[in-house]
Amino acid sequence: MKKKKMIISQETMDIDFVRKVEALSDTSVRRCFQCGKCSAGCPMATFMEHPPNRVVRLLQLGQWQRILAGRSIWYCASCETCSTRCPNKVHLASIMDALRKLSWDAEGASKESYVQLANKLFLQNIRTYGRQYEMRLAAVFNVKSGQFLKDLMLGPKLLAKGKLKMFHSKNKNLSEIEKIFTRIEEMRKKGEAL
Amino acid sequence: MSRIGVFICHCGENISRTVDVERVAQEIGRLPGVSFSTDYKYMCSDPGQNLLKNAIKEQKLTHVVVAACSPRMHEKTFRKAVEAAGLNPFLCEMANIREHCSWVHENREEATVKAIDIVGMMVERVKKNRVLPTITVPVTKRSLVIGGGIAGIQAALDIADCGHEVILVEREPSIGGHMAQLSETFPTLDCSQCIMTPKMVDVANHPKIKLYTYSEIERVEGYIGNFQVTIKKKARSVDEDKCTGCGVCITKCPQKKIPNKFDCNIGLRSAIYVPFPQAVPNTPVIDRDNCTKFKTGKCGVCQKVCGPGAVDFEQQDTLIVEAVGAIVVATGFDLYTIDEKPKGSPIKGYGEFGHGKIPDVIDGMTFERLASASGPTGGKILRPSDGKEPKQIVFIQCIGSRAREKGISYCSKVCCMYTAKHTMLYHHKVHDGQAYVFFMDARTPGKSYDEFWRRSIEEEEAVYIRGMVSRLYQKGDKVVVMGSDIAVGVQVEIEADMVVLATAIQPQKGADSLAQKLGISYDKYNFYSEAHAKLRPVECATAGIYLAGACQGPKDIPETVSQASAAAAKVMTLFSKDQLEREPIVARVREFGCVGCFACKKVCAYGAVEEKEIRDRQGNLVKTVAFVNPGVCAGCGTCQATCPSKCVELDGYTDEQVIAMIEAL
Repeated sequence: MKKKKMIISQETMDIDFVRKVEALSDTSVRRCFQCGKCSAGCPMATFMEHPPNRVVRLLQLGQWQRILAGRSIWYCASCETCSTRCPNKVHLASIMDALRKLSWDAEGASKESYVQLANKLFLQNIRTYGRQYEMRLAAVFNVKSGQFLKDLMLGPKLLAKGKLKMFHSKNKNLSEIEKIFTRIEEMRKKGEAL
Repeated sequence: MSRIGVFICHCGENISRTVDVERVAQEIGRLPGVSFSTDYKYMCSDPGQNLLKNAIKEQKLTHVVVAACSPRMHEKTFRKAVEAAGLNPFLCEMANIREHCSWVHENREEATVKAIDIVGMMVERVKKNRVLPTITVPVTKRSLVIGGGIAGIQAALDIADCGHEVILVEREPSIGGHMAQLSETFPTLDCSQCIMTPKMVDVANHPKIKLYTYSEIERVEGYIGNFQVTIKKKARSVDEDKCTGCGVCITKCPQKKIPNKFDCNIGLRSAIYVPFPQAVPNTPVIDRDNCTKFKTGKCGVCQKVCGPGAVDFEQQDTLIVEAVGAIVVATGFDLYTIDEKPKGSPIKGYGEFGHGKIPDVIDGMTFERLASASGPTGGKILRPSDGKEPKQIVFIQCIGSRAREKGISYCSKVCCMYTAKHTMLYHHKVHDGQAYVFFMDARTPGKSYDEFWRRSIEEEEAVYIRGMVSRLYQKGDKVVVMGSDIAVGVQVEIEADMVVLATAIQPQKGADSLAQKLGISYDKYNFYSEAHAKLRPVECATAGIYLAGACQGPKDIPETVSQASAAAAKVMTLFSKDQLEREPIVARVREFGCVGCFACKKVCAYGAVEEKEIRDRQGNLVKTVAFVNPGVCAGCGTCQATCPSKCVELDGYTDEQVIAMIEAL
C-alpha cells in the first residue's frame, strides 16, 4: 500500500472523507503547501511510515486509506508541536485526532498498531461489566492480537500486588451504563455522533 | 614644461594597507615634470576633491594624475573636479593602484615598488595628453518602436504623449501581440481584450504615432540621435486608405479553411482576413500563400465585392526610410513547441510527450484561446480531438523551462501564475471537472501573486502535485499521464481528457537577425542583453537603443509595462537635449599619410569609417582617404591597430602615449 502506484481521478479521491476530517478538526488541509515544518519538529516522526506532512498531503489527494493502513496516527503523541509551528494554521494535531476517530468505522484500518483493538475491547468490558476487568481485557487482547504470551510474566507480579483481580465484579447500575451505550449508538446511526 | 600634480589615495585602508602611499608620493615627487605630489585618505570625498582643486589653482598645475581605484569607478569624478578647477578634463589620468596593485598583492615592499611604477607610467603618459574638446552630435527627436505588443504600445504611447513623434513597426497585420490573445490576466482576472483594445485604439488615433503594420525592419544605419531606418512594408494587397473595414471581402472569400495563427491554429479563417475582430488597423490582408487568386489566377471575389475598390492584387512590398534618434526594441516572445526540432537546433523536443502528436495535448496559449470569449469555441473549454468537454484536465508546468537537457536552463517566470489562472478559468467554466497540476516549484513572487496561486488550490479546488511527468500516451480517448508525487513518494497516474503544457518562453523568431541589423548584443538563447543587469536594465550597450518587454527575458504584463515606460523615459531623457555630448575618445585619421586602403573600414565594428574625397582648389580629386565619423566611433581602437601606415590615432590612447608609458618602466 505504501509504495503502490496512485491512480488519481475524481472517483479515487475521496473528498467527502476529507471534508469530514476538516469539519472534525476545524482546519483546512488545502492550506498546506508542504513546507515540512510539522515533520521537522515531530518527536515521533521517525516511527511513522507517513510523517505528518505526508499525512496532510495524502488527505489533499483524498487517499485516506493509505493513512489509516499505517500506524502514523497511532504514534502521534498529540504534543501539538506541529500545530504550534505550522505557518499556514493547519491544526495537524486535530487532524490526527479526527483521523483516529474516523478510523473506528473505516475499513482496512491499521493492524500493525493495536490501539484500536485495545480501545474496542476496553469499551466492550465497560459495557459488559460496568467497569474494567483487566484480566479479561489482557487475555482477549493477547488472543485477538495473536501475541499469546505477551507480558505474561507481568501477571503474577500484578496479582501479588493486588493490581489485577482474578474474578470480575459487576457494577450495580449496569442498566444505566447500557442506556449510555444505546443512546450513543442511536446517535451514531443518525449521524449525530461519531 | 609641464607642471604635473600627483594625488595618491589611501582608499581608507584598501590601498594603504599594502602600499606605502607616503613613500609613493615622495618618490613620484622627484620625477621630472612633477611639481606637486601628495597623499590623502579619501581622494574621492569632498575634502579630497577640494584638495585637488586647490592644488591645481595654487600650484598652477597643467596635468593631473590621481592614483587610486579603477578608472571605471572614479575617472568621471576626478575629471569633473579637474574641469571645475579650470583644466581640460582629458588632462587628468588615473593610475589604478587598488585593483591592479594593493588588492592583489600581500608583500608591502613589492606592492609599493609596483605602485611607484604604475604611477610613474601614468605621469609619463599624461605629459603627452592633449586638450580634447567634447564632441556634440545633433539629436533627431523622433523615435522608432519595434514591436506592437503591449510593450511597444506602452512605450509608443508614453513617448508620443510627451510630444515626440513615434514610428511603431509591427510584423503582423495587427498590433496587440500576445496580450491580445489572452483570455483573462492574473492576478485580478480582468479580461485581457478589455484592457488591451483601448490602448490599441489610442495608438491608432494618436496624432504623434505613425503605425506601420505588416512591416519589418530591413536595415538600420547611423548612431545615437541619428539613425536611418529602412522599413519594409509588405504588400497587404488591400489599400489601407481606401478600405473602410466593412468585412464583406472576408465573408465572401471562398477559401475559408485556413488555420488561424491568432487562434493557435484551432480556429479557421479565410484567405483575406483580419487576425481578430478588434484588430488595429481593421484592414484585411490577403494571405498570398493560400489565396486562390495568387495560386491559380482565378477567383478575385474579394476585389469584385469590395465597394471602395481597395483590393489590389498588384501591390508590391515597399521600402520606407525614416530618420529617428532613438530605438525601442519590443519584439516580445514566442512559445516553445514540443514538436521535434529541425536538426542543428540546440533546443530538443519532448519525445516522451509524443512530440506534439497527441491531439489533446495543447500548450498554454491554445488554452487561452479556448477560454477566451472571442476564441474559436466562444469561450467553451472543448478539447481539440472530438470537441468534448474535458472532465479531467492535467496541467504540466516547466515544459522546456528549467530543462538543461532540452536546451533551456532558465525559468520562464510566468507559467506558474498562468497555470494557476488556467485552473481557475477551468473551474469557472467546467463545474464538475477536476484540474490537476504537476509542478516542480511554484514560483510566484509579485504583488498578490502567491495569494492568487493559493486561491487556486484552497478555493478553486485545483489539485497540485509536486513532481514531474515522465510520459504521456494515448489510451482510447484518454491521455494517460504518468507522474509522481514526491511529497508522498509514489508514482501517480491520471487518465486525463486533456493535457495543457506550460511551455517555455523563447525570444521571437528572427530575434538574432534583428539584433545583428541593430548592432545590439544577445545571449545564447537570443534574448537581448541589457547594458547592466541591475543599474541599466532597459538600455542596450549600443547607445540610443532601449529594450522593453519579453525580448530581453521572460516577463509578465505588469513588468513589461513598467519596462516599456522606463524605456520611454530613457528616450525622453535623450530627447531633452538638442545636442548630445559624448566623450572625445574617438579615432582620427592623419589624412596626409592615409593611402586609402580602407583596412580600417573593413575592421570597424560600428560602421564609423567613411570615405572622404580630397580635392584641390580646382576641384580635381587628389585622393580618397578614410574619415572617422566622431558621432559613431566607439573608441575601440581596432582601426588604429590595423592601419598599415599608422595614420589612425585614437585620441586619448595615441601610440605616443602608450610608448611613453612603456618607456617609463
